[in-house]
Amino acid sequence: MRDGSGEESNVAPSVHSYSSRPGSHRYKNAKKGLPFNLMLVGEPGLGRTTFLNTLCERQVAAPAELPSPEQAHIAEPMRFKHYAVDMEEDGMKIMLNIIDTPGFGNGTDNETCFNQIQEYIEAQYDEVLAEENRIKRNTKFKDTRVHAVLYFISPTGHSLREIDIELMKRLGARANVIPVIGRSDSLTPRELVLFKQRIMNDVAHYGIPVYNFPNPEDDDEDEETAEENAELRTMMPFATVGCEEVFNEDGRPVRVRTYPWGVVQVDNDEHSDFDRLRYVLLNSHIGDLRERTQNDLYELYRTEKLSTNAAAAAAVAAEAAQLRAVAA
Amino acid sequence: MSAPDATGSAKSQASAGGIGIANLPNQLHKIVTKKGTNFSLMVVGESGTGKTTFINTLLTTELIEPLDDASRRKKQLDKTVDINIHKAELEEKMFSVKLNVVDTPGFGDYVDNNDCWLPVVDFIENQYEQYLRQEQQPVRKGIVDMRVHACLYFIRPNGHTLKPLDVRAMKAIGARVNLIPIIAKADTLSPAALRQFKKRVMDVIDAQSIRIYQPPVDSEDENTMQRNKDIISAMPFAIIGSDREVKTADGRCVKGRLYPWGVAEVENDQHCDFKKLRSLLIRTHMLDLISTTEEVHYDKYRTTQMKTRKFGEPKLKKNDNKKFREEEEALRARFTEKVKLEENRFRQWEQRLIAERDRLNKDLEQEHNLVKQLESEIEAIANSGSPNGKFFRK
Repeated sequence: MRDGSGEESNVAPSVHSYSSRPGSHRYKNAKKGLPFNLMLVGEPGLGRTTFLNTLCERQVAAPAELPSPEQAHIAEPMRFKHYAVDMEEDGMKIMLNIIDTPGFGNGTDNETCFNQIQEYIEAQYDEVLAEENRIKRNTKFKDTRVHAVLYFISPTGHSLREIDIELMKRLGARANVIPVIGRSDSLTPRELVLFKQRIMNDVAHYGIPVYNFPNPEDDDEDEETAEENAELRTMMPFATVGCEEVFNEDGRPVRVRTYPWGVVQVDNDEHSDFDRLRYVLLNSHIGDLRERTQNDLYELYRTEKLSTNAAAAAAVAAEAAQLRAVAA
Repeated sequence: MSAPDATGSAKSQASAGGIGIANLPNQLHKIVTKKGTNFSLMVVGESGTGKTTFINTLLTTELIEPLDDASRRKKQLDKTVDINIHKAELEEKMFSVKLNVVDTPGFGDYVDNNDCWLPVVDFIENQYEQYLRQEQQPVRKGIVDMRVHACLYFIRPNGHTLKPLDVRAMKAIGARVNLIPIIAKADTLSPAALRQFKKRVMDVIDAQSIRIYQPPVDSEDENTMQRNKDIISAMPFAIIGSDREVKTADGRCVKGRLYPWGVAEVENDQHCDFKKLRSLLIRTHMLDLISTTEEVHYDKYRTTQMKTRKFGEPKLKKNDNKKFREEEEALRARFTEKVKLEENRFRQWEQRLIAERDRLNKDLEQEHNLVKQLESEIEAIANSGSPNGKFFRK
């Protein structure tokens, strides 16, 4: 089990130790841990909750409470559920905050879900904006900006659906959107390859802004990072499978899903991309995801918000000046 | 032939040598075999639930071709539900079936799926309407019968419960046609999860009073009865579809899906309910599906229509379509505009005519006065004339 001892045989040893990333050394031995806010979005039944539990390696979220059969025709509205989990990865403590969105895409008409999520993300930016402008800063201020959004795509095997395209487009301008395929054990290897290709073709065709593992700017000579990022780009979207049971094989825990025709191993790279995704989120790219949110995306929002405020203020001031000129 | 006595003699005559009534089923068999039959199957469900693959697996032939990338992209943001009909003629051991498969691409695929089942329901009712009208024609030969005998509703295996969209759509569809719910792509649910999901789906179906097709259980022999019971208890059917053959670990060649962790077999009852569904649709219950459509669903439609319509009268079309209503409003506005313009034109024309008439009347009056004047002059001359005036008397 993961207890920080580093004795994990089915996870690749870290190619880049975290301490080489800029700004990370502060948290290496901190008591509290690096805050990482992860949002999970996707239609019901794609394995979001199971993914959450598999990521945290324990039952963090209880299985969803189903409405009674008499109420099954009513779509419950989307809501936000927060889970706080302390993790340790490679000796580094992480304060993981997961925001789940049960009810997304459950209705007959799902237009309102997009706005709700966008407003939530922007509200977190607004908090930071307000905090920055305070004269007396709050030392205990918690940064709740969403560092990454995992969007679960349904394994249709065809390509993106309208709801996928719309959501990723809208959120991509405000947060790092990482598309993943939920329940990917419903696709054979051949189908999975074609599906991934078609999805990425759609992403290019519709100009959907997804997180594409950019190379760090000040590290141009670092070939290994560039190679790693290129490889991650070819794996997108990540195929995820949720763990339902844990076997004990020679004293080693193996996370699996059991079918009459075989056993899927969650941590086996040939069965799913789960391990790689986990490593990206909590280890190799946690710094980049945080920085991009705090620097690029937040600054973009700030500029837009202040200019619209400024523009609105300027318009009001101009009108007032006009009225005064007339009255004078 | 002995003279018939009291009651039982007619019976004894038949059982003795028989007059040949027992041969009637054979005759019927020959007639039916020659005529063949007509079967319409509809598949409804979101894209990517395996509808096309299922049909191709069921018929062991590629009846529906998968979409190519260009057509798929066109449909992605299209926001409409299409009705596509694929026709095939199947023949087995001298018996032929004209098969119609109705596909519904676009169903449930968009952000706003409100009323996406309306095109499906309309199609079903239109077929009843067409049949009703053809029946009422003086010449009834060559009736085209496209009434849907079974509608397969593909449920996405989200492992939780039926979506509100599914509930509403199935309610509307099940009231008009034989509805058979199917759990699509069942190879993503573990056996325990599948059992739970099936139970949950049936609970919702019961609680929401959704009408699904119930095959009749009673039969003469025990085997058939047991088989029917098995079929009913397996509903909703969990389906895996595959149109290719793969090799299993123990060397068998089967229709299935090849995963790194094993082969999910289509025709293995431990893996999915494909065989049961195939039996229901074709081997054992096709006739029941056809007859319940005709005797129950079509008859219900016919009765409600006949109550409100006279024989031969066309159906009132209620157009609830938003787009149509908007267009109708726009057309109506344009029409009113045009009418106003024309009326103005007429009014002006009328006024011109009146003015013209007045002018002409005036001229006429002037002339009339002139004539009068001349007349009076003539009179004056006539009266004031000499003794010769007598000749000028009028």
